[in-house]
Amino acid sequence: MSVNILDEAVEVWFGPQHVSAHGWATKLTIVGDFIVECDPNAGYFHRSAEKCLEFRDFRQGALIMERLCMLEAFLAEYPYVKAVEKIAALEVPERAKVMRTIMMEASRIHSLQFWWGQFAAELGLFAMLLWPWVDREYFLDSFEELTGSRHAVSYNTPGGVKYDFTEKSVKMLLRALDRIEERIPTFRDMILKSPTFKLRTRNVGTFTAEQGLKWGLSGPNIKACGIPMDLRKDDPDPDLAYNMCDWEVPITHSEKHPGGSDAYDRMVQRFKEIETSISIIRQLLPQVPEGPIVDPKARTKTNRLPAGEAYGRVEGTRGITTLWLKTTDKAQTPYRAKIRGPCFSSYYSLKHLVPGSTFADFIVIFGSLDPYPGWWDR
Amino acid sequence: MSPSTLAHYVIDRHPDVSSKEPEGNRIELIVPAERVRDVVGIISELVPDAFPESVFGVDLGNDKYEVMYFFWSHSNLMLCQLRVALEGDSPEVDSVCDMFPGMEWHERETHEMFGIGFRGNPDLRLLLLPDELQGKYPLRKSFKTDRSRLAESGLAESRPTSKESETSG
Amino acid sequence: MIGGGILLQIDFIAWLRGIPDWLYEVIRWVYGILYALFTWVWGLFVWIWAVVMDSFWFLFKAILFPGLIFVVLGIIFAVWFTRKTWGRVQARRGPYHMGKYGGLQLFADAIKLVAKETIIPDNAKRWMYRVLPSLLLIAVLIPFAFIPWDNNWFIADLSVSLVLTFAFLTVVPVVSVLAGWTSGSKYTLIGGFRAANNQFAAEIPLIISSVGPAMLAGSLSVMGISQAQANFWYIFLLPVNFVTFMVSATVIVGLVPFDAPVADSEILFGWRTEFTGIYFTMTYFAEFAKQMLFCALMVAMFFGGSYGLPFIPPVLNFIIKFLVMLFFFVIVTSSFFRLRQDQVAHFCWRWLLPLSLLNVVGAMLAIVYIPGLAELLQLGGG
Repeated sequence: MSVNILDEAVEVWFGPQHVSAHGWATKLTIVGDFIVECDPNAGYFHRSAEKCLEFRDFRQGALIMERLCMLEAFLAEYPYVKAVEKIAALEVPERAKVMRTIMMEASRIHSLQFWWGQFAAELGLFAMLLWPWVDREYFLDSFEELTGSRHAVSYNTPGGVKYDFTEKSVKMLLRALDRIEERIPTFRDMILKSPTFKLRTRNVGTFTAEQGLKWGLSGPNIKACGIPMDLRKDDPDPDLAYNMCDWEVPITHSEKHPGGSDAYDRMVQRFKEIETSISIIRQLLPQVPEGPIVDPKARTKTNRLPAGEAYGRVEGTRGITTLWLKTTDKAQTPYRAKIRGPCFSSYYSLKHLVPGSTFADFIVIFGSLDPYPGWWDR
Repeated sequence: MSPSTLAHYVIDRHPDVSSKEPEGNRIELIVPAERVRDVVGIISELVPDAFPESVFGVDLGNDKYEVMYFFWSHSNLMLCQLRVALEGDSPEVDSVCDMFPGMEWHERETHEMFGIGFRGNPDLRLLLLPDELQGKYPLRKSFKTDRSRLAESGLAESRPTSKESETSG
Repeated sequence: MIGGGILLQIDFIAWLRGIPDWLYEVIRWVYGILYALFTWVWGLFVWIWAVVMDSFWFLFKAILFPGLIFVVLGIIFAVWFTRKTWGRVQARRGPYHMGKYGGLQLFADAIKLVAKETIIPDNAKRWMYRVLPSLLLIAVLIPFAFIPWDNNWFIADLSVSLVLTFAFLTVVPVVSVLAGWTSGSKYTLIGGFRAANNQFAAEIPLIISSVGPAMLAGSLSVMGISQAQANFWYIFLLPVNFVTFMVSATVIVGLVPFDAPVADSEILFGWRTEFTGIYFTMTYFAEFAKQMLFCALMVAMFFGGSYGLPFIPPVLNFIIKFLVMLFFFVIVTSSFFRLRQDQVAHFCWRWLLPLSLLNVVGAMLAIVYIPGLAELLQLGGG
């Protein structure tokens, strides 16, 4: 190699064959150990979901949505289902509203467990990879008991949900919650008080809330800056049960970066999110009302939809996830479905966030934004 | 700032913008293509924490397109939608990514999927599509999807489609 | 006229009659050559046997125990032990299919890796690429000759064996940088630079930490240091030195938290990325051999070598202490996050170096000023 790697700019492709690049590749220009330019490259995972949705009817579309991000399957299906319900004017029964909320929060918990295990392992502590994933197994077992499958659950359907709670599935869900509540405090202290973790994540990937908002970051990334931007409270959905329980939006005030956040604060924030979700589920589980689980007219009404446009939004694990739907009269399939994934903006923000940091910090910055290629490639 | 206040302010400044009735926390403004930058500029002034949710295109057929902009404000609890109508084989509109950097990739994706040009966007390369794709602008209704190997897959030929969204092939 | 009127130059019948004699001569000639060959080979064999018999014990020690075969089996055991312990720490089981408790897994892995195709990248410099892993393994295995497993069971006892060990270990980062460069990829180059950085950062604290025991024992040979601890283990006198030595050893071997040269999630495998097949086996085993070497050195220098429980053979003492050190190493290296390279250098220069210096100076002052300490320790060699 005849380039002087210490003084001249060298282009390095981070991915797609890389231990930490799970389906993406970024072109980094580095001088010595510092990254001067970052050009994120998307499209390795593109499955043309938006075009596929134009060829699936209104009950099949949710299955495509959940496969965009299997980790938060319950949350991923919801925007589509909500948009269809708006156009078809369906009425969701109370029981379905509460069940949906419970399962969506359970999905959030186990997706965050996946994330922090992987983040800690990428920082070098391989032991931390499997410990939270063991706890995830309890959640996945309860999902399997409820819906028959662990990840691709296909639970939400326009008008309600497909599977009813049984005693066994509720018991398994409670067992998963007990187990997580028992183990999270130990893990959280192990990570947040570890001096090497602080060394690696403090002052890394810092941005202020204004910058983050302009780049399109949302969800825990902005809540870690101290702004309680959460769709569950800001845009209360009448078809979900978040107002039936008492909870506060978890935010983190950073000591070192007031009004902003670094990777350490985002870790703190996501642990708080897990705790909030656990408390929501615990409050809602005793309150599930009796009744049907789906609108009785849902089947007939979703065969053909009238013309209309609807915008379904949900606060996903990684940020605001939306789906805009347009139908023509007596349509069996959507005319246009636009999916907005939160990680589309996280991946874009790397262009501004990464230059100036060292090569080793790249994966810390990106990991702390909770990336998932399914959401930006769709 | 409530949705109707914003709408009144924008319409006072630019009378050729019209709006539908605000429903709840949503306001929809129908903006002609030349006014996009002005309206987005007003939004970024009046609503300091405007969150750029998405920009995307809709193909209405017969070379008519619509571009939708969505902004959400947490402090005002308001969702603002802009609807821009465009026409032509390669329509163009001004880019807003200097005011809202988050829109840069949304505009880039809209360009590669629909062929709508964004004047001023620094980077309009292909984002999600592979370089080897045959044909351009896949999300247009005139883009024929490749159904040549459907028989091989053993799947049922007929799929529930509506007349408007059916492509030939 | 003889035989029908044809006139020949030679007497045909007489020639025919002479064939057996001729054959006999040919066979005797061949036999003579073979016999000479055989005597020569046999003489060589007798000579080799005499040499082996003369230095039988030396060869036994060098090849069987505690020499090559023992060390290689030790490495295989260390890898198996590490994988099982890591597995248990990470809430899984480690290998358990091959052999009871996965004992044969390493043999299966070694056979599989040797049988794999060795892919050499186009950009790599071929001959250096092939030689470097073997060079690495040799440089790491030679210092095992100086480890005093027992007062009798050692291969070589040179008066400067400690210095020689460090000299051999200095080859390792040079090989790492070369390996990173000859592999022809940017990631490996970065890994190679980081390995050199690690070495610069930790070499000096390592050597200063080993000056402590050397000073107290009055000898620069590992054997001498180990024998001088007959009454007192140096760990009680130089605890800080032990800690700095262990941390420097972790940095030099390149284990978590200092494994930036081979950071899995950043630069794939660092300078080891492009090695495949047999070369990979050699670099992989060299990592564990380094670890074992440092464990053995620590036992010899700080924990009294083979002195300990009186009722078991001294070799077993050494091995038990060695296993405890290995376990400790494995547990410690699975409990930390990885430090960035500049943080490693910062840490070594700012904390390790002063601490190791302090303890050496403290030990010196204690010897000079505390009465009775010198006799207690039997300084100057036991």
